[in-house]
Amino acid sequence: MTEPSGIRYYDLRQVSGQSTHIDVDKGVIESAGTIFFNKAVIRVLGPRGWGILEFDNYSHEPGKKFNDLLASAQKLALVADDTVNLGDGSRIVRPVPPVKEDCRDVGIEEKAELLLAIEKAADLPLVTSRRANYSERIEKVRFMDSSGNEYCYEICRSGFSVMAVASRNGTVQMGYEPDHTILGFNLRHREEMGRKAAATAVALLDAGAAKGGKMHAILDPELAGVFAHEAVGHASEGDLIEEGNSILKGRTGEKIGDDHLTIVDDPSLHEFGFEPVDAEGIAAGRTEIIRAGKVNAFLHNRQTLAAIGNGVAGHARAMPGEPPLVRMSNTFIETGDATEDEIFSECKDGIYLAGSRGGQVDPGRGVFQFNAEYGYLIENGERTRMVRDVSLSGEILKTLHGIALCGKKRVMHSGYCGKGGQSVPVSDGAPLVLLRDAVVGGSGVD
Amino acid sequence: MRWWVAVAWIEELFTVGEQRVDELEVYGFSGTSISADLKQRRVSLCSSSVETGLCIRTIDKGKIGSSSTNDPQQWQACLDAAIAGGRLATPQEWKGLPDPVALPTTDFAWDPDLVVEPATAQELLAGMLEGALEYPDAAVTSGGAGVAVGEITFANSHGVRYTSRQSDVSISLEAISGQSTGYEFDHAFSRSQVNPQRVGEQAACLASRSAGGKDIPSGEYDVVLSPMAYADLLSGIFVPALSGRNVLQGRSKLATKIGETITAPLLSFFDDPHRVGATGSTWFDAEGTPTRRLDFVRDGVLTGFAYDLKTAYRAGLQSTGSAIRGGFAGLPAIGHHNFVVDGKRDEVFDEPAIYVHSVVGAHTANPLSGDFSVEMSNPFWVRDGELAEPVRGAMLTGNFFDLQRQVATLGKESRAVGSYILPPVKINNVRVIGK
Repeated sequence: MTEPSGIRYYDLRQVSGQSTHIDVDKGVIESAGTIFFNKAVIRVLGPRGWGILEFDNYSHEPGKKFNDLLASAQKLALVADDTVNLGDGSRIVRPVPPVKEDCRDVGIEEKAELLLAIEKAADLPLVTSRRANYSERIEKVRFMDSSGNEYCYEICRSGFSVMAVASRNGTVQMGYEPDHTILGFNLRHREEMGRKAAATAVALLDAGAAKGGKMHAILDPELAGVFAHEAVGHASEGDLIEEGNSILKGRTGEKIGDDHLTIVDDPSLHEFGFEPVDAEGIAAGRTEIIRAGKVNAFLHNRQTLAAIGNGVAGHARAMPGEPPLVRMSNTFIETGDATEDEIFSECKDGIYLAGSRGGQVDPGRGVFQFNAEYGYLIENGERTRMVRDVSLSGEILKTLHGIALCGKKRVMHSGYCGKGGQSVPVSDGAPLVLLRDAVVGGSGVD
Repeated sequence: MRWWVAVAWIEELFTVGEQRVDELEVYGFSGTSISADLKQRRVSLCSSSVETGLCIRTIDKGKIGSSSTNDPQQWQACLDAAIAGGRLATPQEWKGLPDPVALPTTDFAWDPDLVVEPATAQELLAGMLEGALEYPDAAVTSGGAGVAVGEITFANSHGVRYTSRQSDVSISLEAISGQSTGYEFDHAFSRSQVNPQRVGEQAACLASRSAGGKDIPSGEYDVVLSPMAYADLLSGIFVPALSGRNVLQGRSKLATKIGETITAPLLSFFDDPHRVGATGSTWFDAEGTPTRRLDFVRDGVLTGFAYDLKTAYRAGLQSTGSAIRGGFAGLPAIGHHNFVVDGKRDEVFDEPAIYVHSVVGAHTANPLSGDFSVEMSNPFWVRDGELAEPVRGAMLTGNFFDLQRQVATLGKESRAVGSYILPPVKINNVRVIGK
C-alpha cells in the first residue's frame, strides 16, 4: 500500500472490548452493568510534528478509505512546528501471563454473590456504612505502523475494592482495601479484605491527630511505593524532561540519594502495570531510574528517546481512543539488607506510616505530597499510639538522601495513575523504608 | 434546546424495550473536538476527535440495569446487557422516571459561531505565548488549547424527548523559572469568553514571581485561598458530604446538621443550573428531571442535600435535579451543575496574610472527617493590599469542615474553576507547617 506522500511515519492503535462493574452498597446491589467500546487512534508524523485522529468503531480496510484517514491526519500535522525524530527499541511482544481462573468463565450472579460476601465481612460493630466494587475490563489491542510492525493481544484486568466507615459520637473514620490484578479472577475467599477495611476504620476512631513537623519516618511497602512513584517516577518521564518541566533534567549521573538506593520501572513484570508491548509497538524491560543513588535513566517514548537519550523507549501508554503518553508501569524501590528490627531501632523516635490515599507531584518544582491511611508514633524503637490523617511532603532532590535503610522484602500494590486526562493501571512497591527528617503534616497541636 | 428530531433507532428501542421492562431511558451523546498542544513554545501536535455513544437504563419492578456503547448500531446488544444487569440488582422503592415537561428551548452554553478547526486552537496557543512574553525569565514548558461541540439527546419511555447543544473552549499553559513553576487555565462555552493573553501572562507571572521564596516558621496564619485552591478542597472534602447518597448511607459528616449553622454566616453555597453562560447550565439533569436552584448552605445554615431519582425514592424524597454523568458511558450519579459560592464581598488583601494559589494533594484528604494536609503551590505574603514576596513551600493543615466557620472574607471577583464559580476566600488562623 502506498500512503500519501509527505508522511514520515504513521501508526494505528485500536482497542475494543467491554468492561463490567458491580457496585454494592450496604448489602444492596446498587448497580451492575456493561460498557462496550471500540476506539481507534491514528497518528501521522508530518515534517514538523504529529497529526492525530481519534474515532470510534473502526474496521480496517487497506486502500482508499485508510489513505483518506491518513490524509486527514496529515493535514492536522501541518499545524505543528516542532522538530520530531523517532528512536527505536526492542520489537518483541511479551505473552500475557496465564490466569488461574478466567473472569469470563464466572457468571455475573456468582461475582455479585462473592462481592456481597466480602462487603458483608466488613460488618463489624461500630461500622455504619460499607461499600464494595468489582470491575473487569477486557481489552483487545491491535497495532500496526508504517514500518511494517503489527501486533495484536488481549488482556483482562479485574479486581475489587471494599470500604468501611465506622462512627462513634460524631467521629467518622474509614478503611479501604483494594486488589486489582492481571492474573485472573480474584474474588474467591477474600472476606479477610472486608474485615481488614472494617478493623482499620474502627481502630482509627481511637487514633489521635498527628502533630506535624520534621521527624524520622518509617514507610510501609505500600506507602514507600507511592513515594517512589510520586517523588521519582513522574520526574523521570521523558516528555517532562524534554519540556524542561522536571527537576531531574540534566542531572544524569548526579548523586541524589544514598549508595544503596535503586528505583526501577519495569513494564515486563507480571504486576498490574504489565504491558505485553507499549502503545508504540516497543517492549521495554527493567529501567533503573536511580541506580546506587545516582540519576541513571529516564522513561521514554520513541520521540523523547531521540530528543533526550539516556534511557529506553517502550514506556508509551494510552487509554483506549487516546494518544500515547510517557507513563510509568510497575515502579518500585529495590530491596536492601536491613531487618525490620534494625529499621525501627535506627529510627528510635518518629512515626510509622502505612497505607496510601494517593499523592501528587509538581515535577518542575520538585515538590511532592502524599497521604498515609494511618500511622503509629515510634517511641524508643517501638510502635505506640495510633495516629490518623498523616501526610508527607518533600523536595525530590533533598528527600532521597533521607532514605537511610531499606528492608529485605518488596511488596507491590496495584492502582491507577492519572496524567493528561488519562488514567492507566499501575503498580507501586517497595520494602519497608526508613526516611530521615521527613516533613510530616497532620492537624494535631500540642 | 431545540425541537426533538426523531431518531429511528431510539423509537425502535422503546418499542422493543417496553415489551421487556417497565420503563427505560436512553442518553445519547455525539461530539467533535479539535485540540493542539505546545511543547515549550512550539506546537507539537494537533488532534481531532469524533465521539458518539449512548447509555441505556432499564427499570423493571424496582430493579435498575444499565449498559453503554459507543456504537449506536449495537443498541440491541446494549439493551440486552442493561436488562441482564438489572436482573442482578436489588429491587428498590421506585416511583417512576420523570414525565415530559415543556422546557425553554434555548441552549445555555452554546456558541453557534465557534469554529472547530485547527486554526482556532492555533490562534489560542499564539495568544497564550504572546501573554507569557511579559515575563521573559519564565520559560513555557507545555500548554494546550481545545475547542469542542457536542449534542445530548435524552429520551425515556414516558415520552420525554430533550436535546441540548453545548460548546466548549479550554486553554492552559505551564511555565517555569528556575525551579519555580506556574500554571493557569481558562474555560468557557465561547471563544470570546476566554482570554489567552491573560492566561499566558498569569502562568508566566506565577513562575517568575514565585522564584526565590523564603521558608516560613510553623504556626497559625490568616490565609487567602485562590478560587482554584478553594475549589480543589471543596470538591475533595465538603461537596461529597452534600450528596444525598452519602447522607443516606452514613458517609456524610453533615447528615444530621440541617438547620444548623455550619459555616461562617457570610457564606452561601448553592447549585445554580440556569446561570447564563456557565458551562454546567442545563434545563434538565442526566435523568431528565427539570433542574432548579438548590440551596446547600444559606447564610451559614445548612439547608439541603442533592438527590437523584433512586436515592430520593429510597429516602422518601424527591429528586433535586442533581443527576450528572461523567461522559455518555457513565451512569447518572449525584452531583451539581454550577456550584456557586457567594455572600457579601470585600477586600481579601487589606490585611497581612498568606495567599495560596493552588494546593498539591487535595484528593488525598479524608472526605469523611474533613482532616487534610496539603502542600501549597505559589504561596505569597500579602502586604499593603497586594502580593509581596514569595513563600517557599509549606503545608497547610486542619479540618476543612471546621475551617468553614473561620472564613472571614469573600473576595470581590468570582471565576469559574471546572463546575465551581467562586471568589478567593480569606480564612483566619489556619495551621501552616514549615520545613
